[in-house]
Amino acid sequence: MMIQMENNIVTFANNNTVNKEMPIQINVEHVDIYYGDNHAVKDVNLPIHEKSITALIGPSGCGKSTFIRTINRMNDLIPSARCEGTISYKDVNILNPKVDVVQLRKEIGMVFQQPNPFPKSISENIQLPLRFAGVRNKKTLRKATEDCLKQVGLWDEVKDRLDRSATSLSGGQQQRLCIARALALKPDVILLDEPTSALDPVSSSKIEELLLELKNSYTIIIVTHNMQQAARIADFTAFFYQGELVEFGETRKLFTNPEKKSTSDYISGRFG
Amino acid sequence: MKVGSLNDAAPASEGKSKLINEKSFFGRFTDRASESRGKVIIYSSALLMIVAVVAITLFLTIQGLRSFVVDHLNFWTFITGTEWYPDRTKNPTFGAFPFIFGSLAVTFLAALIATPIAIGTAVFMAEIAKKWGTKVMQPVIEILVGIPSVVYGLIGLSIVVPFLRQHFGGTGFNLIAGAFVVGIMILPTVASIAADSLRAVPDSLRQASFAIGGTKWQTIWRVVIPAAGSSLLTAIILGMSRAFGEALAVQMVIGNARDLPKSILDPSATLTTIITLSMGHTTTGSLLNDALWSLGLILLLISYVFIVIIRFLGKRGESR
Repeated sequence: MMIQMENNIVTFANNNTVNKEMPIQINVEHVDIYYGDNHAVKDVNLPIHEKSITALIGPSGCGKSTFIRTINRMNDLIPSARCEGTISYKDVNILNPKVDVVQLRKEIGMVFQQPNPFPKSISENIQLPLRFAGVRNKKTLRKATEDCLKQVGLWDEVKDRLDRSATSLSGGQQQRLCIARALALKPDVILLDEPTSALDPVSSSKIEELLLELKNSYTIIIVTHNMQQAARIADFTAFFYQGELVEFGETRKLFTNPEKKSTSDYISGRFG
Repeated sequence: MKVGSLNDAAPASEGKSKLINEKSFFGRFTDRASESRGKVIIYSSALLMIVAVVAITLFLTIQGLRSFVVDHLNFWTFITGTEWYPDRTKNPTFGAFPFIFGSLAVTFLAALIATPIAIGTAVFMAEIAKKWGTKVMQPVIEILVGIPSVVYGLIGLSIVVPFLRQHFGGTGFNLIAGAFVVGIMILPTVASIAADSLRAVPDSLRQASFAIGGTKWQTIWRVVIPAAGSSLLTAIILGMSRAFGEALAVQMVIGNARDLPKSILDPSATLTTIITLSMGHTTTGSLLNDALWSLGLILLLISYVFIVIIRFLGKRGESR
């Protein structure tokens, strides 16, 4: 089933796989995030469905990146950041101060806007998370390297130069390496914070294809400022505006028949 | 509108446009008084620096080669010989190896003592207690850098030497005392440069490490320190070159023996200490005076080696 909007901007290639029956993996309830006195994210409620892609869209500064960085507690690194509410994952509130953030980040991986491979060899980049987790066996490490690189379609491109520095790869390859690195620990959830905004169109579309494949095994949450990208790959889309979650729903419905006026204004390009 | 040439645009009375400077190179140089004054000051400062470096090198080379060219000492026996008896009236010998060895030993031992503490301090300042590190540690370290070396020597004399005497016997004036004093002396230099190089590691790498389940310690040890790699090494070598050139503090505690030390608990001497100790007793042009200049030349050459290594590491760091 393909739906095309009249202006031809948005193409839904993905909605035949929308799966409403997928259970909720992460449930966000009444989450407020502050930077000092700045109320950056206001009372967000949002279900994240297992093995599906949820896109967070909205104009710059709307709080979508802040919100995604709360899911694996990366905001802990910012001293002034404060977070209230409940994000339940495996019957635990992630925001509980007693949560072991190191373990949490092993289960909820993250990929950033700028590709940030370590200035080490390609294979060491994949193996470092495993070494952090205490894996020492050389054979296991080599096997994991191959598996992860194959999952992101990088294996054939780099298998002859695994010992070369990861910084010698192109931007798109580096970003796929970063995704492979996030997969090394076999997480449940992968968070992607604008993973393609620093890449050229060809590399971006490769990453999009990759995400569509990965969603069969992982829950994916992606922040994007590119609405077409959300429309192309996401099963669910959440529209953030000025720190509030304006609208959340199935991607197709949100793009073709939004309930709120600001949503339709944003997706039709009237602001943003 | 017609797109005219420059000549069309300017009034005919002024001739060519103001935009085009027709003056000669020299004319341009002296164009405006204030401009040229500034230029002269800056150019001559830069020139003076270059002239100074070249002059020192040339002077030391000419003076240092005298003992081989004029006095016909054998260069090879000079740098490998272990007997330094220049004051013997009959058959004086000039074997500088004990001092070359002493200098290098003090330098490497000092680096060995200073490096772990310096890197630890740097990690504390740049990674663990960032606020405290910049507000309290940075000024403390700057004070330590500014303390004159004679003070370090005095501390060595009153604490290190008695300690070694009590626990290891002998006089307490020995190689390890010198290395220890110099190690403490270069500690702040190495720590502050190392802290800078850790701060230069982009935050995105730390985030990447945390995002894959790295602990703070794992992030520092496996990601930040390796990423700072070559500039940390530069910090250490810079400290070593300072240790290599230090004379006064070493001289106060090393014991100043002319023989090759058999262990780190033996008194010893370095290139710098032997020059400062003997230079005052010689007359210009005498054999010993020339030999001391040769020691100075060796000192300069080894210092250049340190600088070349630092430049090389810096280049490698940039290209990565």
